[in-house]
Amino acid sequence: MELFYAALQSGFASLASYLAAHVLLCLVPAFFVAGALSALVPQQSIVRFLGPDAPRWIAYPAAAGAGSLLAVCSCTVQPLFAGIYSKGAGLGPAITFLFFAPAANILALSYTGVALGADFAIARLVLSLSFGIGIGMIMALLFRGDDATRLANAAPFVSGEGISRQSVIFLLTLIALLVAGTLKIDLLTAQLTTFDFALPAALPAQQLLDRLLPVDAIKGNEGLSLQGVILIFLLMLIGVTALRGLGKVDEGFNWLTKLSLSLIVTTLIFAALGIQTTADGVMIAVTGRSIAVAALLVLLILLARRFEAWDLQQWLWETWHFVCLIFPLLIVGVFLVGIIRLFIHPEWIQAIAGTNTITGNLAGVIFGVFMYFPTLVEVPIAKMFLSLGMHPGPLIAYLMADPELSLQSILITSVIIGKLKTWTYVGFVALFSTISGLAYGAWVDGTPVAVLALLIATFVGLVIATLYFVDKRRSSITG
Amino acid sequence: MNIKILGSGCAKCKRLEQLTREVAIEHGINAQFEHVYDIAKIMEYPVLSTPALVIDEEVKVAGRMPSKDEIEHWLAKP
Repeated sequence: MELFYAALQSGFASLASYLAAHVLLCLVPAFFVAGALSALVPQQSIVRFLGPDAPRWIAYPAAAGAGSLLAVCSCTVQPLFAGIYSKGAGLGPAITFLFFAPAANILALSYTGVALGADFAIARLVLSLSFGIGIGMIMALLFRGDDATRLANAAPFVSGEGISRQSVIFLLTLIALLVAGTLKIDLLTAQLTTFDFALPAALPAQQLLDRLLPVDAIKGNEGLSLQGVILIFLLMLIGVTALRGLGKVDEGFNWLTKLSLSLIVTTLIFAALGIQTTADGVMIAVTGRSIAVAALLVLLILLARRFEAWDLQQWLWETWHFVCLIFPLLIVGVFLVGIIRLFIHPEWIQAIAGTNTITGNLAGVIFGVFMYFPTLVEVPIAKMFLSLGMHPGPLIAYLMADPELSLQSILITSVIIGKLKTWTYVGFVALFSTISGLAYGAWVDGTPVAVLALLIATFVGLVIATLYFVDKRRSSITG
Repeated sequence: MNIKILGSGCAKCKRLEQLTREVAIEHGINAQFEHVYDIAKIMEYPVLSTPALVIDEEVKVAGRMPSKDEIEHWLAKP
């Protein structure tokens, strides 16, 4: 029975610190960005660079761009992948798109940055980009013969409009808000001025919270502050008002829309303030972050007013839809991670993947392939592993392999491009994820970037050269 | 009139079908609706992305949500 309570407590601790620390300034703006990308950016504006005649140096970066900008949920990935493969730029860019989309879309990157640190997010972006394009090119080279006959049958597709300047500015401001809310640099964290308020109840309340959800740096428990409690409460209030306010916004703005939007603005500003409990009250600190977040929110409101009502309704509706799709799974995932954590001994993790070895990285990849987690849940799981003593190298290997190689993506891929190509792809992803982990781990352990880049470039070059050579031999034999 | 909605079951696609049906009812237009889920069938049309609206085998829009005004315009002039 005691174990049961301990597990429950661990689950709630994990959920509370997640809601208070990660959701607001990171996930809330990120969901709005995702909604804006989906509603305001016509897919054709990026997809037109992926037509059958697109030169390779445009098609591959455009495929990666499409992956990170258009494909926040898997329901967009499938048709776009099929489209790029059968109507557009061909197997190579389609594979790049498939590889890049789940790991480096705006939600995954910003959440990784906040939960695990900016260097993990950057590593995820850079490694997915280079290996996504690399694997795409290798696949295109391997199956060059098939591609030529397939493309001969392809019909051109309807080209569409571009993205308006107004939408670009709006999107950039939203992304700026996301960055200003999460980036940990001196300019943003510096305290500008502080106010003290006498509030005798504050200290006992904080002490009660510390008893309920103790801070434990070794176990990675962050505890819960008084500000956190208020934020969780505000978040619930937003959820209740948004249910009708944002969920029904496509039928017109109602009073709940305005209420939930003003609640979101207030909550974001409140979350950007630094609040600490002192001996006889609370101290509110205005930081660079508070000013930046407030200024960007004002700018966003001004910009939003210039859009047509229909576009705004679409934006809010898409945003709310993403929240409904992803958020419940995330909450359940975070809660379960908190419980599971209690039963995993750090010694196990440290024995298997505590150092940056080939076996450690392979273990990360294999765990990623055989465990399927819904979108974004791989991040809290990675955080748990990190706090249990997993080396950053194998952790990156896991983070690369998990979203790429879920059962779902393997099934989709094999329906569209066939079993042989799919399993070749799976093999390459496993191989390159292991290499990613080894490289990142070596960088963390102190190997200079230049040496690593040289080694990886040599390796990829060797793979491509071998394939090219084999391909030449084969074509000279057959004819 | 034959109206096809191409979509893989995403929320946008369902919303597009709902919106088009509303417009058709409002204007008293007699139309056959079909929601195409099969990726292979979708790819027979010159579209790269969903949702897409096909009226009498002609692709009107693909990859974004049209506004109600646009749909009214397409339905009025077949």
